[in-house]
Amino acid sequence: MNKGLKKLTKRNEPYIFLVVLALALLIQFRSGQFFTGNNLVDIASAMVVPGLFAVGTFMVILSGGIDVSFPALASLTSYATTKMLLDAGYTGGIWLPILISLSLGAALGAFNGYFIGFLGLPALIVTLGTSSVFKGVMQGALNSVQLATIPPGMQAFGTSSLFVASNPLSGLTSRMPVAFLVFASVLLVSFLILRYTFLGRGIYAIGGNEVSAHRAGFNTRRTKFLLYVFVGMMASLAGLIRTCMMQQNHPTNMLGMEMNIIAGVVLGGTAITGGTGSLTGCMLGTLLIVIVENSMILIGIPTIWKSVFVGALIIIGTGVSAWQVFRANRVAKVRFFRKEVPTI
Amino acid sequence: MKRTLSLVLCALLLVSLLGTSLAEKKDWEIVVVPKDASNPWFVHMKTGVDEYAQKHGVNAYQKGTAEIDATLQAQLIADLIAQGVDAICVVPVNPESLEPVLKQAMDAGIVVIAHEGATLTNVHYDIEAFSNEQYGAFIMDNLAEAMGEEGLYTTMVAHVTNASHNEWADGGVAHQKAVYPKMTLLEAEPRVESEDNGDVAYNKAKELFKKYPDLKGIMGTSSYDAPGIARAIEELGLVGKVFTSGTGLPLANKAILESGIVKSLTLWDSALAGQAMVSLALKVLNGEEITAPVDLGVDGYMALTFKPGSDKVLEGQGWVVINKENVDSFGF
Repeated sequence: MNKGLKKLTKRNEPYIFLVVLALALLIQFRSGQFFTGNNLVDIASAMVVPGLFAVGTFMVILSGGIDVSFPALASLTSYATTKMLLDAGYTGGIWLPILISLSLGAALGAFNGYFIGFLGLPALIVTLGTSSVFKGVMQGALNSVQLATIPPGMQAFGTSSLFVASNPLSGLTSRMPVAFLVFASVLLVSFLILRYTFLGRGIYAIGGNEVSAHRAGFNTRRTKFLLYVFVGMMASLAGLIRTCMMQQNHPTNMLGMEMNIIAGVVLGGTAITGGTGSLTGCMLGTLLIVIVENSMILIGIPTIWKSVFVGALIIIGTGVSAWQVFRANRVAKVRFFRKEVPTI
Repeated sequence: MKRTLSLVLCALLLVSLLGTSLAEKKDWEIVVVPKDASNPWFVHMKTGVDEYAQKHGVNAYQKGTAEIDATLQAQLIADLIAQGVDAICVVPVNPESLEPVLKQAMDAGIVVIAHEGATLTNVHYDIEAFSNEQYGAFIMDNLAEAMGEEGLYTTMVAHVTNASHNEWADGGVAHQKAVYPKMTLLEAEPRVESEDNGDVAYNKAKELFKKYPDLKGIMGTSSYDAPGIARAIEELGLVGKVFTSGTGLPLANKAILESGIVKSLTLWDSALAGQAMVSLALKVLNGEEITAPVDLGVDGYMALTFKPGSDKVLEGQGWVVINKENVDSFGF
């Protein structure tokens, strides 16, 4: 086996990719509808919001932390932004809403970041707490109700499309939302941060071993703080896009998304303990979850069995990657005893 | 001197007390307690109650808590008992947690009427806007009209475990089988879930239309279903070919009704439900015998019947249709 291929088989991503492919073939076989232009566009469009959430969750888990507050954060910022602009009778474009939600997201993220980074409290407890606080502020202080209309600029952004894919056979058309570009750029920025900046390397280092990272010269407190600010901004962006795409704001309907997002990230091979994982894997894991959630009817799984099937797929997916890691470790150990240098 | 003075004062106090209680008995005091005071649904109920009070010269008014909270609601009812009102009409936040305080009210001789609290035992009567089965049939009528009474359809509920949604859907399907022979239920996928989430409803509808090109209609139940399905119909380019109907709030769906993606939605009217409760409370206070069919003199509540197997739960025909003509008339 050549070195490149050997290296590839040790990674997690190819296995997840195979699972995704197998699922796609199953759907194609059962419905004949998977590899049609409009279905692929549907999946890309359904991927935008979970994808944005997943990028943030991925970076947090990478740093050895966890964030369960992002759906509440996104709900609060998107509700506050929409409500504020509606009350002000705003009729302009999408940039101001984006700016407002990003700043709100940064502020709320800083709240998380302060407790986790500077006070050193456990991330799970902090974000569980802030999740309640965000929900409480939204429902109590802001008195949230469903907003049936959104400012015209947001409405236009939500319905505007890059292109429209149509299925020649059924005549069905699907829009590729402009919001997909936002998702793509966030993905690019995150990739660059993780790959080329001190902050990005710091996230990996802290996730691997915080004490060592600190001694090696990383400012762990500031890195963590900035990380949660960045994640808060991404979550708020996702919330705003969701509102635009749905053409209305339901304050509560993103709550509870955290479980599937975290599952997707872990499915993509990110170690829940932090330190290892790739953006590619994270996206593949999320893609798998999105496809599964949006294809139960296409496959023909009866509604009452849906949860069982989704759960089983998550277990199979993580099982494949866990087995892969286990095998890699065993090979590495054997090599170690034979005094060979492991090539990881 | 002091003694006479205090005696006189005591006598005055007694007379004034008697006076007020006598005055109260001339005019029943009926209080409607909604789940909360700010929700547009209950604001609309308040306009109904106020209108009824004015029209019939009844001392009836609505009093709600600032937020939806079962404990606060129970406290409010306890306060009303202490005030000595004559009837309490309540839309319970959480029926079970309200039972003790409602029992206190009944023990104190207060008439208790509930709405959307069919499981309550400590009430004189509970009014339901409709029987679930008949409401389902009503949604089906609306869907059938949009579909031209023919074609393949399926049903959507929040969760297959949700009792009322599934009773509506069952009622709708039974009604179709009895009345619309040219319509058929999609046997492969007779019931899908929207998880009470507009985005899920949208994605499920897209899947359904992709997998079943013949599908011509979806009957929605949760208030998120029809709007979500409408979004899918619009995006997939199926307006005028595929139809949906179901429960929906007027203002939230103004756009899809006016653009014609959805022809009609169904609902019940909180203002009328409020009036029906007050009317029934009056009947009970006046000592009238309540026998089915009960006529409360309120639209949709002209012939209430007892729910089979119950002597407390009354069911009306209080559904309303919402279309582009009347969408602005509800205020929520």
